[in-house]
Amino acid sequence: MNQKCILIIDDDPDLRLTLRLPLEADGYSVSEASNVIGGRAVVKKVKPDLIILDVMMDTTTAGFQFALDLHSSDPRSEFKEFSKTPIIMLTAIHSTTPLRFAPDEDYLPVQTFLEKPVEPDVLLKKVHEFLVE
Amino acid sequence: MLDSPSSIGKNADLSKMKSNERRTLVDAELVASVAWLIHLRWIAGAGVIVSTWMVGAIFSLHAPEIPLYAIGVGILFYNFIFYLAERRLKRSSTSSIAFGRLAKWQVAMDWLGMALLIHYSGGIESPILLFFIFHIVIASIFFPSRTAYAFALLAVVLLSVIALLEYFGIIPHEPVTGLLVTPLYLNQLYLIAEIFFFAATGLIVAYLASSISDRLRHREEEVVNLSESLQHATARLQALNDGTRLVGSTLELPQVLNRIVESTAKALGVRACSIRLIDKTGTRLEPVAVFGLSQAYLNKGPVDLESNLLARQVLAGKTVNIPDAHSSPLLQYPEEARQEGIRSILSAPLSGKSGPLGILRAYSVEPDGFNKDDEAFLTAIATQGSIAIDNALAYQSIEALDAAKSQFVRMVTHELRSPVSVISSLLRTMTAGYAGKISEQQLDIINRASRRVYFLQKLVDDLLDLAAGKTDVRTKEKYERVDLISAIQMVLSRYEVPASEKGINIEWRNDCMDKSTNVNATPEGLDRIFNNLISNAVKYTPSGGRIKVMLANFDNEVHVVVEDSGIGIPEEALGHLFEEFYRAPNAKAVEREGTGLGLTIVKDFVTRFGGRVNVQSVLNQGTRLTVILPLASSSTQVVP
Repeated sequence: MNQKCILIIDDDPDLRLTLRLPLEADGYSVSEASNVIGGRAVVKKVKPDLIILDVMMDTTTAGFQFALDLHSSDPRSEFKEFSKTPIIMLTAIHSTTPLRFAPDEDYLPVQTFLEKPVEPDVLLKKVHEFLVE
Repeated sequence: MLDSPSSIGKNADLSKMKSNERRTLVDAELVASVAWLIHLRWIAGAGVIVSTWMVGAIFSLHAPEIPLYAIGVGILFYNFIFYLAERRLKRSSTSSIAFGRLAKWQVAMDWLGMALLIHYSGGIESPILLFFIFHIVIASIFFPSRTAYAFALLAVVLLSVIALLEYFGIIPHEPVTGLLVTPLYLNQLYLIAEIFFFAATGLIVAYLASSISDRLRHREEEVVNLSESLQHATARLQALNDGTRLVGSTLELPQVLNRIVESTAKALGVRACSIRLIDKTGTRLEPVAVFGLSQAYLNKGPVDLESNLLARQVLAGKTVNIPDAHSSPLLQYPEEARQEGIRSILSAPLSGKSGPLGILRAYSVEPDGFNKDDEAFLTAIATQGSIAIDNALAYQSIEALDAAKSQFVRMVTHELRSPVSVISSLLRTMTAGYAGKISEQQLDIINRASRRVYFLQKLVDDLLDLAAGKTDVRTKEKYERVDLISAIQMVLSRYEVPASEKGINIEWRNDCMDKSTNVNATPEGLDRIFNNLISNAVKYTPSGGRIKVMLANFDNEVHVVVEDSGIGIPEEALGHLFEEFYRAPNAKAVEREGTGLGLTIVKDFVTRFGGRVNVQSVLNQGTRLTVILPLASSSTQVVP
């Protein structure tokens, strides 16, 4: 079977580890990037089937901005080939803080959200939703 | 003409304004007098015509009737012209000069009329001679004494000229025949005596009438002055009163300062007033409130304490009066003051509990514009202003401190939440077996660690909730309109499974029927409120117990009751229930871990949404918590 590839973009190495272990145990190939700049390069190299993206990295909205770029409908976009690649967005933003985004799924180019702390079973379930053939 | 009233006020800005007022008062009297004179003259003119007729018809005397009638008609005619002129002046001109001129013309014409009347009624023998006396009285009332004497002398001259011309036969003598048996106009002695006594009477009358009217005029001026100083004193009292009220009423610094400068400038009756406060570096004075100064003057340059002698003197606690701003060595910017038109400056120190705050300054366009009273007044205002400024500054720093504290708590909590969440994730990866096989004992230890981390995470979340409440700047109007039923049902569905596992029956009753259950709130806030209440109920109700959640509508409020048959709350604990980190002793016994922040958060949110919360409980029987929220008015937008 052709191994599916998942790209994790998160600035926290410990969190990348907690995501990588269950995913690898489930038979996925996992690549990592620690920031958006790294993510932009790696995504073209490994051509992932799914991307797990942290919201807050260099800036509070860096993750969102990258997701918008990836799913841009502009035919000249450098990430044109990833415009249909599913994105799971990691959020640790607490529900009542003023920093909260109101995730309007129709507007945001993100398939689903995953709350930190990450529950391995929940993670795998969400990944399966997108990658089961 | 009337002398223009002299400036009496010591303060020229003020006296200028006040002298205008005074002039209008005196003007009004002049205008009224001119009208009165015209009114009297209709009677005089008619009197001449009637008297002429009576002389012939009733007394059967012979007088030069045609010239006399002509004089009567002439008086009425020129009076008509004065009447028109007066009406026109009244409409168009506010100048007292025009009215003064009109009054002079009237008297001049009357003198001419009198001269002619006297000539045609016997010259020096004329019985009308005495009428000149009351004309002199009128002139003395109207005009300053010198003008009155001049008119009195003119009367004497006119009479003398007529008498002499008739004596030498240059003009004919026109007696009222039958009045005097022997004509006297050729009698030298009579002539001299008559003219002498006429002159003496005229001048004495002019003197008496002028003295009396001078005295009256003087009194009038005193009254005007008194009313001026009363107004002045009232304005000052008002300013002081304003200041006192400011000290208590508003804590917004810019508002406090602007009110102080404006009312001070007005009370002193001067051009401008400003407040400069010492800036954060402590080296400069920054203008913070200004009334009546141009931007150019404000931008003149920095007021450095180092180089500004005046500022240093004032900040040392002294009220300093600079009577001539152009030549004072104390000023840092004399040229700019000159361009601004400022001639004198009065500065009073503003000083708070912790030392000097700044300077309150008044600017006059007149040299030597401030006296001792003004110094005392400005010092009093500055003392009151200092209290207001001190209060406002204290309030500002408390507000800043509170905001900084909340910001700090929020930041710290965020920083805490991130690692706690990662630890939790890492531990779950291990317990789920993704990191290789672990022994039974290791699993037990990891599970214990996970529980503690979970508690820590909950604590951090709760703290974050509270901190968010403190920094939430939204006002009630900015909340959304949220339906309570769906908010409660969402929480209930979350606890269905845990409750039934514990054998607890949850009853949900909505007594609102079809009435509105919308409140102004945030969906997250309502979720936190009901999640805390229902999770507590589930947690502290033993197996087989029951929980009732009820919704009811009273007037403009909606009540949400969460009632359980749980362990209850000891009476001594009830009063502390909403305190941060407080947990009742029996609650600790049931559930070892708990942040003690749940009900604090409930109260915090409920208060923010304009509501209140109360608790009733009987130990070992159950607890009833009621959240009361105001209903949203029907005009606001509904958020589903």
